[in-house]
Amino acid sequence: MPNDPVTLDDLSPGARAVVTAVTGGDGVGKRLGDLGFWPGAAVEVGRRAPFGDPTEYALHGYRLALRRAEAALVLVRVAAATG
Amino acid sequence: MTSVAFVGRQNAGKTSLFMHLTGSVQRPINFPGSSVERTEGVVRGEEPPLRVVDLPGISSFEALSRDEEVALSFLTAADSGIDVLCAVVDASKLSVELRFLGQLFRLGQPVVVALNKGDVARSAGRPVDPARLGAELGVRVVETDGLRARGLEALVAALRAAGGAGRPEPLNAEPEVLAARVHDSSEPAKPKRTMSDRLDAVLLHRVLGLPILGLLMLGIFQLVYSGAEPFIGAIEAGQEWLADQVRVLLPPGALRSFAIDGLINGVGSVVVFLPQIALLMALVAVLEASGYMARAAFLLDRILRGFGLSGRSFVPLTSSFACAIPGILASRIITDERDRLATIAVAPLMSCSARLPVYVVLIGAFFPAAWAGLVLLGLYGLGIVVAAVVAWVLRRTVLRGGPSLLMMELPAYQRPALKAVWGQVWTGVREFVALAGTIILGTSVVIWALSYYPRPSDVHERYEAQRNLVEELPEAERAPRLAELAAAEDAAYLEGSYLATAGKAIQPLFAPAGFEWRTTVGVLAAFPARELIVPTLGILHSVGEVDAGDYDLAELGAPTARPNGLRQRLRRARREDGSPAFDSLVALALMIFFALCSQCMATLGAIRRETHSMRWPVFTFVYMTTLAWLAAVGVFQVGRALGLGS
Repeated sequence: MPNDPVTLDDLSPGARAVVTAVTGGDGVGKRLGDLGFWPGAAVEVGRRAPFGDPTEYALHGYRLALRRAEAALVLVRVAAATG
Repeated sequence: MTSVAFVGRQNAGKTSLFMHLTGSVQRPINFPGSSVERTEGVVRGEEPPLRVVDLPGISSFEALSRDEEVALSFLTAADSGIDVLCAVVDASKLSVELRFLGQLFRLGQPVVVALNKGDVARSAGRPVDPARLGAELGVRVVETDGLRARGLEALVAALRAAGGAGRPEPLNAEPEVLAARVHDSSEPAKPKRTMSDRLDAVLLHRVLGLPILGLLMLGIFQLVYSGAEPFIGAIEAGQEWLADQVRVLLPPGALRSFAIDGLINGVGSVVVFLPQIALLMALVAVLEASGYMARAAFLLDRILRGFGLSGRSFVPLTSSFACAIPGILASRIITDERDRLATIAVAPLMSCSARLPVYVVLIGAFFPAAWAGLVLLGLYGLGIVVAAVVAWVLRRTVLRGGPSLLMMELPAYQRPALKAVWGQVWTGVREFVALAGTIILGTSVVIWALSYYPRPSDVHERYEAQRNLVEELPEAERAPRLAELAAAEDAAYLEGSYLATAGKAIQPLFAPAGFEWRTTVGVLAAFPARELIVPTLGILHSVGEVDAGDYDLAELGAPTARPNGLRQRLRRARREDGSPAFDSLVALALMIFFALCSQCMATLGAIRRETHSMRWPVFTFVYMTTLAWLAAVGVFQVGRALGLGS
């Protein structure tokens, strides 16, 4: 699906991606930006919690837990899949 | 005097640094957003002292939590009186920190950067050169280590010097570009498998993670209950000693009764919680500072969200098993306001340690040893289940709204700084005493007055006449008979008191739950704090002073421990028609009432304080009392219809 916008919650653990845009009103998008999700930022998908949500993401040398709904606000370009 | 505000993102190590500078005690924790309300201190030295203010951590200038609001409103207030901002920055995640600094610079105040956690950055293979960072930013950058108290003198010197400095220039490049310029490239960046990664592989394991968390919590409660035991014993002994001194000093009468039953017992019922609360706070603080509590929130978020709470509700709710007050205070860490209110509203449903004596007396008296543990577990389970349902309903009615947010940092694991843990415990204990102390003591005095007066004179005359008869008995029989008379006289006075009159007046309300009038009076007397029902039942059932063994958890399954103890008296107690006042079904209804009711004025006070309104404490009291009454009546009526109990 090369033309569909890919969001962070589409990725599996271990995947690497680069943020292309952040959506979300009510300051949520801005907050995601302040946490490091800005265009060009490299993100690696980490562990999922039991029951599959939330998920841990590594970026800028630290780790952050996002719920699926929050990760869906981050548009990404997949960089390279790793094991 | 120059005033400095310490600002920083969560987990940057700001509060540890602040504590080392001022020597003051307060809360530095790894759990995002836990520095509660701002704290002030003074740095003394040969030069004029420096006033320093510690603000709650800010993750974003888009404030979501109350903590962040506090910090931001203070930073942007014109009259804050702040001359210099000390930005505490985590060197291991520099690009995110630089974005924060960029926004901070726009406030137009002189800034000094404390570059913290350089060791973490180095071990991750991304060391930062402070001199180069200072040159790029155009502000002073001082390397510090909050955990080991390094770089403090240089920081203080820089802060003193910065008072007259101009406002910083805006950042001249994107955060990542800037970060790349100042990362010390002499060591190549190589992502390594860190200690945190290895720990998380086990602690955040999809299958093992939750069982490990469960075991850890069990261990903590075991430690809290057993570790606090000797201290509680000492406090109770001290209370008795004090009461004995008063008995020597004061003649029998209102003043003596007020001193012993109002003051000493009132203060005692606050102090007796301190060992458990302090121990629990210390253990929670260690887990928070180590970085584990954020993981616990991560593991439990999905489950708690199902009930309209959040992973962040975990710490407040867990603390509430010891006492709801520290739990309610800890709910400040919850970012989402609706999540926070729902957590506060259900925290008092967790079975706190004040309910334990009630459970132990009644289970010990009316349930066989084999059932004791199960009934106790069931009562704890009941609180949890009802809390889940109430939270679920709240989030679909009064607290309805869009999805809440998590967005929580999982900080690298670290060794907790003991000084910081101690500071957190001390602050927590102080807050508890200030809140519970005034409220519980105040209501204890009111309840004492209601249970002491009006003291009808005919009671005294009646018992005086009987005492005279006892004088004619042989010497050996006198003492036990006199003690019996004294206990019966106490019971008669209490029976004639305003409190008992009120209890009898509302007795029809509790009769459907199977409560006898003395039980109803006990429920009223327990208004300030749940455990007060035990001494009240003791007096009403002519036991006199209730033996501590009657509510000792170790004697849970031993109903016949003391022939004239409270348990035996409750078993023998009769109603006016001669039927037993208690049986296992009545005891169960009473325990369920206590599991769900909100008989704790201090908790309601804490809710008022944390929600800044009377609405939530009133709501909590009404819903809990209603649920407690419905459940007690339901259990009793259904049980009787099925022929249970008697």
